[in-house]
Amino acid sequence: MKKELKIIQKERTNPLAHVFDDFISFCQSKSLFMLHYCTGCGAIELPPAMTSRFDMERLGIQPMVTPRQADILLITGYVSIKTLKRVILTYEQMQSPKYVIGICSCTVNGGMYWQSYATAKKLNEYMPVDVYIAGCMPRPEAVMEGLQRLKDNIRNDKKEHKGSAWKDYFNRYDYYLGNQQALFGDDWQTPTDIIAEAKLYDLETEETYGKHTKLLEKHQTPLLPQEMRIK
Amino acid sequence: MTFLDHLFIVVFISLIAISALRNLRIVDKLAPVLYGLILIMLVRMSSVAYGGDVYLSSVSLDLLDFKMHWQFTALSWYFAIITVVAALASAVFMSGDWGRQYREQGGNYGMLQLALIVNVFSMILLLGSGDLLSLFIGWEFVSWASFLMMVLSPTKLAKKSAVKYIVYAMTGAMALMVAIVMIYSVNNSLEFKQIGEVFTQMSTSSQLALVLLFFVAFAIKMGLLPFHLWQAIAYAETPGPGAAFLGAISSRMGMFTIVLVIVQFIGLGGLKQLGISFVNMQTLLAWVAALTTIIPTYIALQQHDAKRLLAWHGVGQGGYMLLGIIMFDSIGSAGGLMHVLNHASYQAALFMTVVAVMYRTGTSDLNKLGGLVTQMPLTFLVMLIGIIGLAGLPPMNGFVSKWLVYRSLLVNGQPLLFVAAVLGTLGTILSVYKLIHNTFLGQLRLEHQNVREVPWSMLVPMLGLSIIVFITGFMPGLILPWIASVQESVGLPVIAHHLGGIEYAKGGLDMIWVSGILFYGFGVGALIFYFLGGKSKRVHQYDNYAGGHFLTSDVRYHYSNNFYPGLMHLIGGWYRGSFKWLENSIVSVVSFFSIFFENIYRAKQPVMLLLIGVVLALFALYRNLGVGA
Amino acid sequence: MNALHLMAELIFMPLIAFIVGMMMVLMMRKIAARLQRRIGPPFFQPLYDIVKLYGKDTQISHGLIHDIGIIMAVGGYIGAEILLPVPGMEGIAAKGGVITLSYFLMIPSLGMALGVGQCANPNGSIGISRALTAMLAYDIPFILVVFGAAWHYQSTSLIGMIEYQQMHQWGIVEMPLLAIAGLFALQGMLGKQPFEIYIAPAEIATGPMVEMSGKYMGGLFVMQTFQLYTAGVLYASLFLGGGTSFLTLLPKAFLVVALPMSIAFMFPRYKTEDVIRILWKWPVMLALISLAFIL
Repeated sequence: MKKELKIIQKERTNPLAHVFDDFISFCQSKSLFMLHYCTGCGAIELPPAMTSRFDMERLGIQPMVTPRQADILLITGYVSIKTLKRVILTYEQMQSPKYVIGICSCTVNGGMYWQSYATAKKLNEYMPVDVYIAGCMPRPEAVMEGLQRLKDNIRNDKKEHKGSAWKDYFNRYDYYLGNQQALFGDDWQTPTDIIAEAKLYDLETEETYGKHTKLLEKHQTPLLPQEMRIK
Repeated sequence: MTFLDHLFIVVFISLIAISALRNLRIVDKLAPVLYGLILIMLVRMSSVAYGGDVYLSSVSLDLLDFKMHWQFTALSWYFAIITVVAALASAVFMSGDWGRQYREQGGNYGMLQLALIVNVFSMILLLGSGDLLSLFIGWEFVSWASFLMMVLSPTKLAKKSAVKYIVYAMTGAMALMVAIVMIYSVNNSLEFKQIGEVFTQMSTSSQLALVLLFFVAFAIKMGLLPFHLWQAIAYAETPGPGAAFLGAISSRMGMFTIVLVIVQFIGLGGLKQLGISFVNMQTLLAWVAALTTIIPTYIALQQHDAKRLLAWHGVGQGGYMLLGIIMFDSIGSAGGLMHVLNHASYQAALFMTVVAVMYRTGTSDLNKLGGLVTQMPLTFLVMLIGIIGLAGLPPMNGFVSKWLVYRSLLVNGQPLLFVAAVLGTLGTILSVYKLIHNTFLGQLRLEHQNVREVPWSMLVPMLGLSIIVFITGFMPGLILPWIASVQESVGLPVIAHHLGGIEYAKGGLDMIWVSGILFYGFGVGALIFYFLGGKSKRVHQYDNYAGGHFLTSDVRYHYSNNFYPGLMHLIGGWYRGSFKWLENSIVSVVSFFSIFFENIYRAKQPVMLLLIGVVLALFALYRNLGVGA
Repeated sequence: MNALHLMAELIFMPLIAFIVGMMMVLMMRKIAARLQRRIGPPFFQPLYDIVKLYGKDTQISHGLIHDIGIIMAVGGYIGAEILLPVPGMEGIAAKGGVITLSYFLMIPSLGMALGVGQCANPNGSIGISRALTAMLAYDIPFILVVFGAAWHYQSTSLIGMIEYQQMHQWGIVEMPLLAIAGLFALQGMLGKQPFEIYIAPAEIATGPMVEMSGKYMGGLFVMQTFQLYTAGVLYASLFLGGGTSFLTLLPKAFLVVALPMSIAFMFPRYKTEDVIRILWKWPVMLALISLAFIL
């Protein structure tokens, strides 16, 4: 059901642009700040991955505290409807390029909460997920493996377009918004203006807009930035 | 007719004109013109500030046996130019929309204008005094003129603090009068130079009494410890631009007289011989100055009203001026003198920004503001420049004068005074950040969404003053020649200066280089910021990290109340209000006695009084008769 | 000093500070890792972090002051590096001296404080309030140390101080107590445990950095490199005799920065009032005793 990603290639006039891009994506793969949204039991596997046994820092991954600083959103367990609102808010407050890793089976298909009325089953219906690490719970080795996979994806983004799943959120915002609205109701709105962001950073496609964004516009309370005014 | 006579005439005509026309609208536009004229008159006399001759007034008054005359030295001119520029800025500030609003709110605008010109007139009279009698008369004028300004505000607190001020001021005036009488009783002359001559002829105890009397008189005006209680509330309650003017210069008349009398005629030798070994009058005064920098500054840190916060800093900064001048060396005294101008410039600007915020929002309570930077960016800019000056950070002018004071303390080997000065500066940084943060930064309140920048009539003086703050910080050499002439005229060692700062063995200061490097750094920083990074998106203030919480306008997401809890938790217990307690107990004792004597005068039982009187008279008569017999 | 030489200094002094500072960041992270029996980050990790942050595709700004705050934070330090003499490059150190330098170092803090204030995030404001309080705490011993050093060397210029030490003995030998007080103040200045209450990641979400993304955060990372370098070189110039060449200066500077980090993990995090209490008690006492000897 997932369509082919549309990667927008801007015209680059600088002959060294690709060198720069390669360098930056190399650095991006080497330096990842991680925000762990510890919803469930999977969180217990993270301390061993961070500390002396496996030491994430040697891969250039370190924990950060706020979504603004982070590159990876690590969701470590079941996502209830109430939690999902916060997860989406947090995801939207992160700055691109941003990556989502779903740990544990719960994020893949609801896991043992499959029958629960209050749990969102598939995380990738609400935000583009880069890597799933299945298991109940996955061992730290698996977590490290997943992080390595993410790093490789970022490195090889140019060739395989695997590391830029985040663009999908802007490119097909209507799809994600539709799923969110189905869950939270028609007046669902986050403080982050994704459409304006997509416009500013040239990430909009025709699928950014649709009937769901129209619905959003109807209910939206405008959240324009305070302009600096002299008069 | 000398230039000084012209000056006095213009000031006097301005006084007459403004007091005659004060209830007409024309006074709005007339007053700035008149202050401009006074400024021109002063500028004509500027040769005195570059080492020229003293201007003498051709007018002199014979009063009983005393001959009163007036003169303008470099010192008078230096204080006069600060006064007039502050008055000009205040007059422009209130000439437009602020004045209209003030009238609409029922304020007596004409009286405010009158109070301002009376203040300027009396200050120029004081600054121009040529002997102790004219000094005393000027002193009295200045005291009552400030009182006139303070009672304009209709609030009860304003009236009360104005009365408190005038009680303090009268105490000071009495001290001054006693000191003058002490001098007169020796040589029957009231010339300034008598102070020095009489001082050398006196016994040590009389010397001590004389210095203390003079110092008490001047310290009260300047709000030095322990006489600091009257100033802040009285200034803060004064309406708008009046507060800016008073805060900028009024209390510095105390500094003027300290330089004129204590520094010039009693001098370092005189102060040092009063006391034993290193505990002498100089160290005493230096510690008074140091404590004045610390205690009022930390009282300011506690305030949550912007005007009071600034007014308390005004008291605290007086300490730096005294601390610098009391070192009696070229750099320290230059720092102390320069701080008068620097402080006047940023303090007036800061008061005006607060008044501008009040003009738009109706409050100066720091807990009820926030986020105004987008609505009033130019006012923010002025406040930013002002607080950098007040905190004494480069490249603004406050840094230069404070640097000179620090350097002097370092040269004189005064580590504890140095730490006291730095403690004052650090407290100032904390408190001014609170001021700018709680007013302009943080979250904008819903009720302030439609606030606009203030009109140009208010912006122009604020911006003008902030340009002065910057330029005199960037090129202190514009001011330093004046300082050098003042030092020369009062017999202090003269500072070696150039356009960028001072020359001094073992480390001078060149502000052109320092500011240049700072702006070079900012330039490189801006290049890195704008060219190495990508585009950034402006977001709404509710798009903010709150641990995943959705922010709404009904819940304030702003931190302003009790801004330094950790510090206050530690030092909060030290705010005991000891001085307030002392003041209150003195007031209680005095009022107790006054009630007692009032009861006797007013005669609850006139018959009894009559009886006692008759008995006493008879007794006296009897004794007399007895002696006669 | 000719114009070309000055130009070279204007460019290279901050650049060297940046590169050395990045190595110091690496060293601190390595020390932390080794103390926790980890391997720690690769050699170029500080560079990766900074490039990554500047290379972010999207980032948010809370307004012009947010931007200017970051410019002031980075720019103030770039200016300060030029006031800090290093072997072969004296910059304009003679025009200001150490008092100017210590006040210069407050400009970046002020810039950052302004930028954070504009973010309208209470976590940031709390962080700044704590950072300023901590500054009040560590600046008192620091200023006593600067005073003592300047009095002892009879100069406020760092060049003069280094010359004195090259001719006589290192400051740490002549004034050991003052040097210890200086180290104490340094721990607070660098914001290392136990004096890191204003960052407090788990409590106020890294305080001042809470709303910083992309190049804003990158700016603060750059600022950190400058901060470490300045602290190391300043202390080395005050007490360890500076250096005649980078080969003698840099090991001292690295040592100075390594010390606080090495002892940091022995401590918990102190409350703000305890930070003031401890910094106003022990280092101030040491500095005053030392001053009594010097004066």
